[in-house]
Order: sequence, then structure tokens, then C-alpha cells
Amino acid sequence: MPLTSAPEASRLAAVRRYAALETASGAALDRVAGLAARIFHAPFATVTIVGDDTVHAIAAHGLPPRRGLVESLCAAAVRHGGPYVVHDALLDPQAAGDPAVRGEPGIRFFAAALITTPDGEALGSVNVMDVRPREAGDEELDCLRDLAGLVMDELEVRLATHRTVEIERELRAGAERLARTLQRTLLPPVLPRVPGLRAAAAYHPVSADEVGGDFYDLFPLDGDRWGFFLGDVCGKGADAAALTSLVRYTLRAAAVYDADPHAVLANLDAVLQQEHAGGEAPVPYCTAVFGVLQPDDDGFGVTLATGGHPPALAVRANGLVEPIHPAGGQLIGILRDPHFAQVSARLNAGDALLLYTDGLTEARTPTGSMLDEDGLTAYLAAARPTSADALLTTVHDLITALGKGVSDDTAILALSVPPATRTPSSGSLGAA
Amino acid sequence: MQHDNGLTVSLQPHTSGPHLLVVAGDLDHHTTPRLRAALEEVKFGPDADLVIDLSGLTFCDSTGIATLVAAHQRAADAGAALFLAGLDADIARVFQIMGLDQLLSFYDSPEEAVRALSE
Repeated sequence: MPLTSAPEASRLAAVRRYAALETASGAALDRVAGLAARIFHAPFATVTIVGDDTVHAIAAHGLPPRRGLVESLCAAAVRHGGPYVVHDALLDPQAAGDPAVRGEPGIRFFAAALITTPDGEALGSVNVMDVRPREAGDEELDCLRDLAGLVMDELEVRLATHRTVEIERELRAGAERLARTLQRTLLPPVLPRVPGLRAAAAYHPVSADEVGGDFYDLFPLDGDRWGFFLGDVCGKGADAAALTSLVRYTLRAAAVYDADPHAVLANLDAVLQQEHAGGEAPVPYCTAVFGVLQPDDDGFGVTLATGGHPPALAVRANGLVEPIHPAGGQLIGILRDPHFAQVSARLNAGDALLLYTDGLTEARTPTGSMLDEDGLTAYLAAARPTSADALLTTVHDLITALGKGVSDDTAILALSVPPATRTPSSGSLGAA
Repeated sequence: MQHDNGLTVSLQPHTSGPHLLVVAGDLDHHTTPRLRAALEEVKFGPDADLVIDLSGLTFCDSTGIATLVAAHQRAADAGAALFLAGLDADIARVFQIMGLDQLLSFYDSPEEAVRALSE
């Protein structure tokens, strides 16, 4: 295997840099070949790029021979490092035996001007071939050199375009990666296992490349209590994402300090109001449901507080769907002396609870009306999901059915208590 | 529902009774600055209340809501009332879920709102 010299390695690197050359061809380059042939009153012209062990013709005029002698002449021109002329191939001992010289089309004359990059690397050449031996005039060779310069300009433009497209593609991919990463930081990746409870969550984005402000979490509190929340920060994009992070961490921290749901929302409100004190109007705000689960004999006590958020819906074991919604909870972070309402309820064996963001209830049904809490309630009552997973599937089906009627992201958090299973009493087992 | 992204805001001349601001079209983050600018023109006072006629409002996003809330606070600071009139049922429902019905009074028409103010 021949070793590649350092200058040749550097030249090949330049050829590879113009990677677009692989597919570089087209009318502009064919016109250059046509002009070269006309200037020399010759039947054949080509534009060639000399690679590692191939000579690639990227444009041609007059169906010239492309293999054998012609390839070696093009490679020789590049090695020669300047204008390269063979006046009569028959007088050249190496060329004389070539079929393209001896037979058809009977090439006798060859002239090449190098295509040289701005940093001096020869990529290939513009070549002219004639079937009669002849001299090459200075004027003709100057024109051939200018044409080679034109080819270089064309390749430079193509390379710049190619690079711009590549950079654009990289930037776009980077932005999408960032959006997905941010999204992951906003939603807990996996919900924890809560003894005696099933939990499932989903996020239905409307657009893959825009970060929404929906959030949720389920996490342990002191003793055997658990906290959960779900909400929506107004707005989209980076600002909403930053605010969503603040809201999530404030809710977690506030719950450690005082897990009373009303107090947690009041703390969040105070933090958001401070965050935007003296800021530009309009002030961003959020809506949220915060709850505490207290396990008891065969289910959970639930205390829920809400701030301006659509009602949580309980799907009871008997199929009844009812809101668990304290009336009057207001937007968080924007109002003076806001009111946050709180209510207590129970989740018994076989009951499920659905928390969702308004992307779901504000979706348009095929008739053009808003789905609203009533539409969602009716859908759940008909589907009768009996577990958190089934609830998630039911909502997924609904969102799919609504299709383009859904215009905002939707986050879903579903909780359920498994149905009671009849266990044999230990007394009867012991007697057996 | 058609969203044409347009928003028109016009402040009716104040002769006697409250200011009347007529808002029609989509209220979103592109168009809300127009409403904010119009609201800044309003001089609130104990005898200068404001009725916003929203019967032509087709869409209202979070920036629109924040702007209405801010206007309400300015009115309250000046001892003036701010009433909303002619709100679309769906938008009224969203406002109610957000607890804004405790803050802003809703009336079916501007005439009704004006009447309520004069009582």
C-alpha cells in the first residue's frame, strides 16, 4: 500500500472538506466544461476532482473518455501543481498504448488548469481534450485557469451553503434537546410506590418543541402521609419553564415546612408575588391543586386545596363521577389577598382520583363547544375506569379522539385505591 | 371558532356615568399590549368607574387575564369599580374556575353594568 505523503494528506483533507463535492454537479459546472471546450475549439472537456484513489468527473462536455489515461492525466495535473499540457499523447511512451489514444476517440491533446482552494490545495482540474496534436496558446491557458477559478468559487459557495444548513440543523437539534431536557426536569420521571395506592401520570404536549408550564409530583411527607400536586404555569417557552421549576421546588419545600394544603398554596403565592414584585406587567401566575393523602384502614383520607384550578374528579367504585373541589380557590401569585379553598374527602377501595390541567377541559369538541368539566365527567362515567392506569388510558383515548380540538398541553395525575380483596380469616386457616 | 388574531379596543367618550371600553377580537400576548395601553389612558376615581364591554371577545389567554387583574387593582386603589360586560359563556366559565368572579363583576350587557353602577 503506498504511503500518503504529508502534502498529499493535507490535499486529501481539503477534498474531504468539500464533502458536498460528492454530489456536486449541475448546470453551472457543465457550462464551465462547455466554455472550456469552445475556447479550445476542442470536442471534449471535463471538470474532475482527484480523491484518494479515484478521479471523479463532476461535469463534462462532449462525452469524453473518463477512465484509464484520462484519469491518470488528471491525477498527474494535480501532482504537477500548475497548468499541465500534453501536446501529443502518441509521443508520450506511457500514453501511446492507451485505448483512448490508440483507438476511439483517439485523444492526442490534453490541457488542464488546477482547481485550487484559497489555502492553496489542488482539489482537481478543468480539462480539455482534442483528437489532434496541437499547441496550447497563452490566451487559451489563461481562460482555462479562469474557468478553474470559477469552479472553485462555485464550490466555495456550495460549501458555505452546506455548512450553513449543517449549523442550522445542529442548532435546531440542540434547541430540541434542551427543550426535552427541560421538560424532563419539570416532570418527575417515575412516581414513587405508595403502599396501598396506585399512581400514574402522563404529559400530553401539543407541540414537541415548545416547553409548556404543566407540572405534577407525588412525594412522601412525614410519617405515612404523602403529598401530591398538579398545576399549570401560564405561558410557554423558557420563561414559563423557569417559573415552573420555581413553583415545583417551592411546593415541595413549603410542604416540608407545613403540609397543610391551604398553607402550602399561600406560601407558593407569597413566593411568586415576591418573585415578580416591581416587575413588568403582566405578572405571570399559576393554578394548582395540592393534596395530602393520609392512609387509614381501607383507603386514604384526602385533603385538597386549590388555587384557580379546574376540579379534581373522583371516579367512585360504583361508577359515580364527582368533583372533589373546594369552591372559590383563586389564581396563585397575582391577586391581592387571594383566597385558597380546602376540602376533605375519602378515597375508598376501588375509588380513583383524576387531576388534570385545563388543556383537557378547554379542548373543543367536534361541535365546537368547550369540553368542560361536564363533558369530561360524562366521558369518565361512560368509560368507568377502575384504576389509575385505566384512568390514564381513558383520558389518553379522549385526547386522541378530540384531536385538533386540543390546543394546549395537558398533564394528568391519576391515583387509585385497589379494590378490596376478600381474604380468608386466619381462624379458619388455623383450624385446617 | 375563528381566531383572526385581530383586536380592537376603543374607549368611548366619557360624558356622564362610567368610562366604557369596548374590546373585540382575540386577547393574547401579541394583542394584549393594545388593551394595556388603552387601560393606562383611563383615569380612575371615586366617580370614574369603568365598564369593559367584552361581548366581541373571542379568545383570552393568560396575558389578557393578567392585564384585566392589574386594571382591577388600579381601579380599586382609586376607589373605582371595574365591571365586565357581555362575556362569552366559555370565557366566563374559565374566569370562574380561576376565582376571578369574586374579583370582577360580570354583567350580560354594558347597559346592565351601567345600570348596576348607578344604583
